[in-house]
Amino acid sequence: MEGQTRSPFRSLAVAAAATTVLGAGYATDAAAQDKFKLGMAVGGNPCCEWMKAQGDVARAIAEQRGWDYIELSNNDDAATALKNAGIFIQEGADAVIQFNGQPSANPALAQRFAPANIPVVTYDIAQPGFYFVGIDNLAAGLAGGEALGNIIKEKWNCEPDLVISAEGAAAGIVNEWRTGGMRDGLKKVCPDIPAEKWVSFESQGQATVGLPAARDLLAAHPDAKKMAVVGLNDGGVLAAINAAEQLGRADEIIGWGQDGAFITGDNVNPHLAGSVFYFLEGYAVYAIRDVIDAIAAGNPPPMKDTAGDPASRVEPCPVSAEEAAKVPDMPERVKLLLEAPPGTTAYELFCPNK
Amino acid sequence: MAEHAIGHAAPAGRPGMRFRLDGWGTAAVVALAWVALVAISAINRPDFVSHQTVLAITFTMSIVGVLAVGQALVGVSGGFLDLSQPTSLILTALVASRLLALGLDLVLAILVTLSVGAAWGLLNALIIVYGKLNPVIVTLATNFIGLAALFLLFAIAEAPIDSAFRAFGRSSFLGLPNIWWPMVALVLVVGFLLPRTRYGRHAIAVGGNRFAAQARGISLRATRFAIFIASGVCAAIAGLLFAASSGPFTPASGTVYLLPVIAASILAGVSLGGGRGNIWLILLSVGFLSTVPTALVFFGLTSDWQAIFQGAILIVAVAIDGYREKSVAR
Amino acid sequence: MTDTLATGRQDAPPPIAHHPVREVFTGPVGSIGITLVIVIAAGLIVIGPRFLSASNITIAGQFVAIPILIGAFAAFALLAGVVDLSIGSMAGVSAAIIGALLVNGWEIWPAMAITLAACLVFGCINALAIVGFNADPIAATLGMLTGLRGATYVIVEAFGQSGSLFAFHEGLFAFTNMMAWSLPLIFLIALCVTAVAALIVGKTRLGRHVRAVGGDPLAAARAGISVARVRTGALLLSAFGAGIGGILYVGQLGAVSRLLGFGLEFQVYAALMIGGYSILRGGVGAPVGGALGFLVIAGAANILDLSGISPYYVNVIVGALLLAAVLLDRLRGGDAYE
Repeated sequence: MEGQTRSPFRSLAVAAAATTVLGAGYATDAAAQDKFKLGMAVGGNPCCEWMKAQGDVARAIAEQRGWDYIELSNNDDAATALKNAGIFIQEGADAVIQFNGQPSANPALAQRFAPANIPVVTYDIAQPGFYFVGIDNLAAGLAGGEALGNIIKEKWNCEPDLVISAEGAAAGIVNEWRTGGMRDGLKKVCPDIPAEKWVSFESQGQATVGLPAARDLLAAHPDAKKMAVVGLNDGGVLAAINAAEQLGRADEIIGWGQDGAFITGDNVNPHLAGSVFYFLEGYAVYAIRDVIDAIAAGNPPPMKDTAGDPASRVEPCPVSAEEAAKVPDMPERVKLLLEAPPGTTAYELFCPNK
Repeated sequence: MAEHAIGHAAPAGRPGMRFRLDGWGTAAVVALAWVALVAISAINRPDFVSHQTVLAITFTMSIVGVLAVGQALVGVSGGFLDLSQPTSLILTALVASRLLALGLDLVLAILVTLSVGAAWGLLNALIIVYGKLNPVIVTLATNFIGLAALFLLFAIAEAPIDSAFRAFGRSSFLGLPNIWWPMVALVLVVGFLLPRTRYGRHAIAVGGNRFAAQARGISLRATRFAIFIASGVCAAIAGLLFAASSGPFTPASGTVYLLPVIAASILAGVSLGGGRGNIWLILLSVGFLSTVPTALVFFGLTSDWQAIFQGAILIVAVAIDGYREKSVAR
Repeated sequence: MTDTLATGRQDAPPPIAHHPVREVFTGPVGSIGITLVIVIAAGLIVIGPRFLSASNITIAGQFVAIPILIGAFAAFALLAGVVDLSIGSMAGVSAAIIGALLVNGWEIWPAMAITLAACLVFGCINALAIVGFNADPIAATLGMLTGLRGATYVIVEAFGQSGSLFAFHEGLFAFTNMMAWSLPLIFLIALCVTAVAALIVGKTRLGRHVRAVGGDPLAAARAGISVARVRTGALLLSAFGAGIGGILYVGQLGAVSRLLGFGLEFQVYAALMIGGYSILRGGVGAPVGGALGFLVIAGAANILDLSGISPYYVNVIVGALLLAAVLLDRLRGGDAYE
């Protein structure tokens, strides 16, 4: 056995040594670079279609502008996000856009970017010193909650048996804004729903993953019939709706989602009454139009790093299921967005009730 | 660890007998724990005992149970674990969803899905048998590669909501979920056939002592192929039930099943080392494990606590099992 | 787990005689070393000389240092034939505990002591189940993995805000970011720990005992080695290493999220197996090979990062390397699975 394996190993070693020598002589092309270089760290959570799309749109716009573009994935992991920051700095990125689904590491990221003087755009989750581009999550939550409240008021006279919150604790403050915002919006319309009617479950923001927990919650409230569902995103809300379907209690369940991931196309759940579009796939249009272009031109815009006073505000677009039916699905939207005149946002293109 | 190895190998001459007697100690413990859990929960909240609770638990049981049969077959035959189930589950669910969305006939779609599951099992078996590599490492690697490939392939999939397939998945029969019955049928049939047919006994013999089995003229290769293809088919059945009963899923949606499935298989008395385990007991172990999260909700505990309880149950169960086995070996 | 393998080994062919010079090239450490050379060559070709620049090594080194450290300790358990799958959750719960103590105003040293003590208690539970009650190591530590993940959730929820524990500690942060000889200090520490582990495993009586217990527990017991004591010690070391890793993560990240350490065990064991260890068979593998396994994966991932290839391919590479490594091990005369 050993006799057989020895010679291939030796030849491998020789080959490796040879390539090392070749390699050292080969590449010295990274010298002169006056092109603007944009770095993009995508979220990398396998949960969501739009996380991939955010990178695709940024890449396409960067190519239109003739910039260099590097894309890394944060892999939904704080340590990876930190590593990526190091790579952006080393590769000489002139500006970085990030979506960081694990925002607990944002302060550490800021510590790393600051000495390198690289301006950073952060989507949706604010960090002092990073340009904030995104939705006002709280406003989006409130808008969705009010819309759902109006339906409940009309149908059930503000007397639901249960209001279910599909939480996603890993999203941190975003979950509190969106899910909590929806609760507050609902309370604005229907202020007198008693405290014991409000229940929640951990959906992890995914329809199938949250399903068992939603089932258990419904089982623990066996008499509830009129059920309203709010949540972190469409996926989480769907977990509750699917659970009700399985338990034979879907006749009177009404959900209103966030992010609009499952409200378009020809496969929409009939109990999802509406959602709030953020058009997450198209955030790069805002970031590049309002922040990155100015940086590339050499005059960075003033630092605006809060959701209340953002560098670029993405308008939430609450839609009912009927209105959403006319909106193209995400792959189609990405295509149309990139064909539109530069700077046109997905909101302008697709929101049915601006 | 190894002290009982010799004792284990000794009764290989009549594995069937030992096999049947072996599981009932575990069964009694799990059954007792289950009854105690239900009793305590019912005292705490009398409305725990309701049709809704039964529905919630049986839905949870269905997919875990089918996957656990595949896992148990691998374990009993000495293949340790099939860690690639998260990939095969989602791959088959994706195939089924896409085919149905294309308007393919339901029966045809099911047949194609089952063959994809079998093909995945065949792929694992080919690497295991011809590479002579341990299944744990092979399936760990194929799962790494498979999940990455799925990520490159798709982001979100869902079977058509208004299809008969989905209607089946969310409906019930005789007060219990439609998707629960195929699981029970699978457990009963496989559990009946395994110790009573020639091929089943071969699989157990190979798991008990492969060298003794080989000496009796049993083909190790054929057994490995059969077992891993069967595991792939089980994953495909689970994938069908999953696609029928669940909403939109992602490439990562299958990962959450791995731990409960392995726990169910171990709690059913399936020895990871092989040669021991009663498939029927999966009904008990999956039933018990699926009751835990539902009961916790009735106690007002968040699902964060669920993992603590499930972990503790698993440690205690395998400790009892290991202790019992050590005593038997002496 | 080990039991069938033990019965198998009785019929397995006798081990091939060692040849020290040949071992350098064909031994497990040799082949992973050659793999690393190939990765470096590929990096130089695809990326250019800056692949080996101090800055690039710093980036990769800082990222891989904590996993190497955790792996160096966990490898003792592998060597003793008791795989500890709970290390990822152990790092998570360690981070959660020290994070909770720090936000409640504790000093760093007592906080670290309590955190490590807690991890050792969890390690004791592992050892009690596996060594005391003869539980299967994979199954028992899978239970611990699940339970500690739940404990991490509960602690982060209880003491954190919005799903995270913000536990930025000036000293710890500075320590994890310190540089020495233009390389990250924790990376150098991880390499030093690997070197010490290599000395212990290769040159001391203790190391021989651990390998003996993992390789053939019956023979080790006959030779008068306490199998129970060695395995208990190895499991405690593994828990301790994961505890240290969790503390360092808090320093590096300044915060604890619910998912800290999630899936880390797979990353660590994939690297260790690529480096020549086995999660199913004790007595094989060497600390240097294990560390090289991490470097191979980190190098390959770095090439993908710098050349803009989808990061999902990393796992394809990890999977393929894993298969290649076990196949090589078998061709070299390792246990064949039949």
